[in-house]
Amino acid sequence: MKNLSRNPDIVWRVEKRREAEIIKALDAGEDVSDKGSVILIVSGMMHQLNLVGGRIWTLCDGQRSLDDLVEALSGEFEVERGELTGDVEAFVDDLLKRGWLKYA
Amino acid sequence: MPDAVTELFSAPLTFNWTLSFRCNFSCSHCYSRDESVDELATADILRIVDILVEKQVLFINFGGGEPLIRDDLFEIADYAVGKGLNVSMNSNGWLIDAAVAKRLRASGFHSVGISIDSAEPARHDDFRNRPGSFDRAVAALEHLRKAGVRTTMSSVISRINYCNFRDLLDLARDRRVAQVYLHNFKCSGRGFKNRQDLDLSAEEWKAFYLEALQVKQQTGDLLISFDDPVISSLPGYDEKSLVNGSSCGKLSLHMRPNGDITPCGFIPLVIGNILRDDFETLWYDSPILQKMRNKEASGKCVECGAFEKCLGGCTARAFAVYGDFNQPDPHCWK
Repeated sequence: MKNLSRNPDIVWRVEKRREAEIIKALDAGEDVSDKGSVILIVSGMMHQLNLVGGRIWTLCDGQRSLDDLVEALSGEFEVERGELTGDVEAFVDDLLKRGWLKYA
Repeated sequence: MPDAVTELFSAPLTFNWTLSFRCNFSCSHCYSRDESVDELATADILRIVDILVEKQVLFINFGGGEPLIRDDLFEIADYAVGKGLNVSMNSNGWLIDAAVAKRLRASGFHSVGISIDSAEPARHDDFRNRPGSFDRAVAALEHLRKAGVRTTMSSVISRINYCNFRDLLDLARDRRVAQVYLHNFKCSGRGFKNRQDLDLSAEEWKAFYLEALQVKQQTGDLLISFDDPVISSLPGYDEKSLVNGSSCGKLSLHMRPNGDITPCGFIPLVIGNILRDDFETLWYDSPILQKMRNKEASGKCVECGAFEKCLGGCTARAFAVYGDFNQPDPHCWK
């Protein structure tokens, strides 16, 4: 299976302090799906990715396939495997269409 | 104390970095031409780059003064790019010949902006107080393009060009510039002294922006950017930012040649020094930054429905004219 890599023209960073706060909230049972922890600058426009999206983005380093992403995330988030696979596929598909990710 | 900005951002995305106030030009609107401070040695500047990398700053944009006045600009850029920073600069173009353009390319500059204030050579030269500066600026764009450097054009909108800004866009197209910044006029430094001659009235600003936003919507072959929060309530304004109002002190900070940090180049209030002070303490706790990030409506802003988006407009202009961040932007037409 092909590996996924980020568009090198996109400038980004993980907001580590923010990420730690979100993980704390998640552990407390809060809905954190709309809280961004990764900032992307795409053609001068700013975007945020939430915790799961940010983790997927971070893992797309050209060394991992989609299956590798699901495997890595399954150890981090308590989600049923089939649901996780579907969510990751949909997210990656969206970013591929935007040109933010590509197959290495 | 966390606020809406620091809750999300652990550092600015961009540092606008004045390496030197020295310049080979003497422009009528310059915010810094009359400034003078000790400049840092190269080793200290490289140490600052390390700090910025550690704090995850993404972009540095060298301004001035003229960045190329410093002999070590390429060494600094080489180092910063090597550390992963996205480096750009603004220049008057005078010192950029073919060899310098190639060196800028080799240093990894992401883009180089050239200041051109009028498409009429004589008018640009007069504004810049330097005969031949228009030709040199246009030549610089050509040298940079040939060297493979992405070029931008910066034009400060003022009384000399607001009626003819389309000519500036045509010039940019002709020179295959990627992006044009139509900067709002700031009444700082000489800009404040020459405000009566250069600044537009609030109504003139409104008319300019309405037309310019329309032109932007109709333009597909050239990126046109504005950096003026006062326009956020106008039809045609569709930029989405993660912060409202001025981005200064929120998404960006400015650094003076001695390492002093100010919210932006046009607000002469030092919040601390990057080499002497703990950066996180400055970023999170500076009373000046906190005031800028938590502006309170005053005067006509109190009853204005646009305040939530524009947050009183340009904080630098309000401070320059009224000495108070919370006063309405003097360019506001409402």
